[in-house]
Amino acid sequence: MKKFSITGFLDQFVGVQAGKKIAKDVKTGELHEKREALHEEIEEKKAGFDIKKAAKDFWYGKPHGERRLGDLYIGNTGLYKHREWRGVKDTMYYFNCIWLYNYLNMGLDIFKGDEPLAFFKGVWRYRWMGQTYLSVMHWFDRGLEGLRGEALKASAWHYRAMVSETIRQFMRMFAADTKLHLDEKNEYWHKTIAHDETVSGNIFYPWRDVLDDVPLQMIPYFVSCHVNNKTVLNYIDAMQSIGLPADPCPMCQAESGIFVLDDYPDYSPVMVTSNEACDGSVATSIITDWFLDRPLFAMPQPMRFDDPLVQKHCQEEIEQCWKFIEKEYGIPFDFEQYKKYAESFNKLTEFEHEKWDVAANTPYYPINSVAQALYRIYYSQDGDREIWHKTDAHVKKIMDKCVEKKIETFPMTRHRAIAWSCAPLYYSNWCTWAYNCWGINTIINMDSLMFDQMLRTDTYEHALEDLATFNELAPMRSMAVGGHEHIFQLWKYMEQFNCDFVIMYDQLQCKGMQGIKGMFEDEFRKRNIHAIWVPHALPDKRTVSRKEIRSIINDYMITVMREEPLDPSLLDFDDDESW
Amino acid sequence: MKKFVINLLKILGITYVILFIVFFFDLDGKLLYYLWEPNAVMHYDRMKRKDNTLTPYGKKDNVMPDSEVKAKKIG
Repeated sequence: MKKFSITGFLDQFVGVQAGKKIAKDVKTGELHEKREALHEEIEEKKAGFDIKKAAKDFWYGKPHGERRLGDLYIGNTGLYKHREWRGVKDTMYYFNCIWLYNYLNMGLDIFKGDEPLAFFKGVWRYRWMGQTYLSVMHWFDRGLEGLRGEALKASAWHYRAMVSETIRQFMRMFAADTKLHLDEKNEYWHKTIAHDETVSGNIFYPWRDVLDDVPLQMIPYFVSCHVNNKTVLNYIDAMQSIGLPADPCPMCQAESGIFVLDDYPDYSPVMVTSNEACDGSVATSIITDWFLDRPLFAMPQPMRFDDPLVQKHCQEEIEQCWKFIEKEYGIPFDFEQYKKYAESFNKLTEFEHEKWDVAANTPYYPINSVAQALYRIYYSQDGDREIWHKTDAHVKKIMDKCVEKKIETFPMTRHRAIAWSCAPLYYSNWCTWAYNCWGINTIINMDSLMFDQMLRTDTYEHALEDLATFNELAPMRSMAVGGHEHIFQLWKYMEQFNCDFVIMYDQLQCKGMQGIKGMFEDEFRKRNIHAIWVPHALPDKRTVSRKEIRSIINDYMITVMREEPLDPSLLDFDDDESW
Repeated sequence: MKKFVINLLKILGITYVILFIVFFFDLDGKLLYYLWEPNAVMHYDRMKRKDNTLTPYGKKDNVMPDSEVKAKKIG
């Protein structure tokens, strides 16, 4: 007798069911209809197939309106069935000079770090490291979707620089981290300064040759939100689990949650904090002080920074901070080192002005909005590093070529937009989508326009004065919660950058910006400006999803602007579970 | 020597093609998404950690000795 087998039974069952269905379809005539439909479809394809067009699409890539980028996604994962075919030249550039080059250099950067083996310990120990940074190439994919030619090259160089600097920072943290070295406080630990991510790296130039400064939240929180937005949710929930209500700024919640979950590297004997330039988060310093338990210097950025007395106060605070470092590390302040790095940093600002000039006055600017925004805020906050100069040299070559040869880098631009206020960190690449789907080209954004000043180095007094101003113009402070006259600089920049459209970020948990919403709406009406409010909750994608953001923009473009999408496949798709 | 060079070129060529397949079909992304990430999350969720909320507000000492962390049970 034959033995009973479950798989055999299931096979038979499935086979019988399929047979029954076919028999039913034959009976009702459905099978015949299906066969006819399939034949028609094949005939249509045959008739519509143009070998010359197919060869052209293969060689040059499909034109913008025919790409159907939305069809490449797998379900709501954000993964691709296959990566985009951009034509032979651009696909091979992406493969060789972006994908392979970056994977290779990520490995090399780790081995250039102070202690390469610490990388593996870090991956094992920290959630923000192991869950986030290995998926970094998908961050490139999302930001660079649809780009071609010089725009693809220049934007990718910006991404490369951010990855390289991120690796440098976490390798330094891991090399010094007592948690990865059996509680041993090694030489790196004694020579590293920890500070809040909104305390400018410029402050620490006087010790750059002998000490290294690494912002504590930049990698565990800020950059990780962009690369894999799932990690940060753990930290937000952790903070709320100890009693914080859900409505304060989720950035401060996440930064504090890293301490609650004991997921911060212990890499420095001191901490220099700010108020994250947002007065809703003054308490972040208090919580950091509680959990970190070490000498801490709090240096909050003032709210009304136009007042000369406030400027004086800010200068005194920077001097006190310098004295604090001298005392804690026993290394004297060195103005010559400050001068060296500040002058080098000024060169980055000079090139930034050159970039703005091209972006404002020509259609030849080769950097897409997400690369421009993230790179600018990253390097200006981080301070002078070699990688920024190398990147600027690459980008300058590409930009000069575009201007000389009059290469239109974003040829399907229908609207030149300016993005204002703080962007959703979990969807900073929305502007790549907006260009691909609607031709909305975000030329510049608020975060790029901060820190717009040179640092004088001729005298100590001038240096201190400029540094104080630089510190006062910290992210979120200068144009978001720094007084309505600064927030309304929007009109000036709209004109300067020749923009006809505003993307107005609406951070639902930012009490500062919420207060001024009505004034903005009045001004938009009075000035007859098209503006789309984009609600979000900074790092928390659960409050307003990416799909909802797209749907708000779609509604405006269809009902108000009465426009047709450039790529209809991008109108509506799920990506809730994507990185 | 010539044979060695030819073999080396063959290996490099095959590796290059395999890498292109990984790139084009987003196999790196799929591996990380479906295999690495769920396992990594499980690892971090089960990790023993210090309970930093026990830190007294005025304290200047380690809140929980490492031996106690090691003995701590998850869940």
